[in-house]
Amino acid sequence: MIRASHFAAIAALALLTGPALAQPADRVAQFAQLPHWPGYWVSEDQAGTTITGMAPAVTSSNASTSANFSGIMVLRGDGAAWNEEGQRRRTELRAAAGGRKALGWGYPMMMNCATPLAFTITPEVTVITNAYNETRYIYTDGRAMPAKDDMWPTTWGTSVGHWEGNTLVIETRMVKNPSEFFHGSPPYSEEAVYAERIRLDGDRLTMEMTVTDPITLSAPFTASVSWVRDQGFDRMVQVDWDNDRTGSEDGLNTIELETVGD
Amino acid sequence: MTKLLAFAGLLGLAIAAPSAQAHHSFAMFDRTREVTVNGTVREFQWSNPHAYIQLTSRNASGEAVEWSLEMGSPMYLYARGWRPRTLRPGTQVRIRINPLRNGSPGGVVLDVTGADGTAIGTNQ
Repeated sequence: MIRASHFAAIAALALLTGPALAQPADRVAQFAQLPHWPGYWVSEDQAGTTITGMAPAVTSSNASTSANFSGIMVLRGDGAAWNEEGQRRRTELRAAAGGRKALGWGYPMMMNCATPLAFTITPEVTVITNAYNETRYIYTDGRAMPAKDDMWPTTWGTSVGHWEGNTLVIETRMVKNPSEFFHGSPPYSEEAVYAERIRLDGDRLTMEMTVTDPITLSAPFTASVSWVRDQGFDRMVQVDWDNDRTGSEDGLNTIELETVGD
Repeated sequence: MTKLLAFAGLLGLAIAAPSAQAHHSFAMFDRTREVTVNGTVREFQWSNPHAYIQLTSRNASGEAVEWSLEMGSPMYLYARGWRPRTLRPGTQVRIRINPLRNGSPGGVVLDVTGADGTAIGTNQ
């Protein structure tokens, strides 16, 4: 009986650890072929954000507004070729945006904000995480995108990718209308396809994103985002998004106050 | 005039695009004015998407007024040297802010000093 239980335990252990330990040299070689992007990356236009929550481009009083704001949150798609349905959605979104609470950034905006990103690269999957527990899994194991009949729209979508040299090429589909999660996001449909190409260029990570959406766009929208390692981040601390006190008054947002005795 | 146009542009952008920079626009704050508020920390809300200092101050009539003073997100505050315990309830502080445009007791924090004038945290 004892022998039988020992055998069962050893067999179970082998099943759990076997594949990873069977060919360690091959595994090392697989990792050695991959890029390594350690650190915590923030959108370059928002690097240097101060304790106010504002980026230097916002606080700089003598800078050209248009020039300095051009890269901030470019993935909102302000310059996209919105068709009639897209324009309708944007108008509706703006009308309802005042005081709306956000739940986080969602996709694609998590790729374009001051919140740091971390990239964990393995042969089978690249995991992109931000500080709000928002995670993308980019499967690079050769699988195909799930069939259209298996559509399962989510806030962060489904991504498959592959490596072209040192460039991570990603296709993302099945993203719920991003503006449902965060009112500052573009109101793309669930039919949208997001193509990304991410690579390390010196000390910057750069990305080209092209969005096609037959429902809201009359032409593909292409934007570039770059990230740098901002100072002061030493680990990815996950903090709930549970205290959105942004209110709305007379068409302008404001802070929802707490009064003495609350 | 250039500054005025730049500010007008900023305001317009912020109103048109509610998430211009952080998760909300900063048009609610009057960035042309700086106000210093003296008071006692009631609570330091180390929270997302923004941290808040709840400060109890006294108005000209001697009545207690609670100010809601916004900061960036905790991840950025941490990167700039702030910690959840940087401000403790009961601490006497002076806080320089850009106030809310609507006149409510609130604003965005520029820097914090103790009652003796010593800097608390950083203003980076």
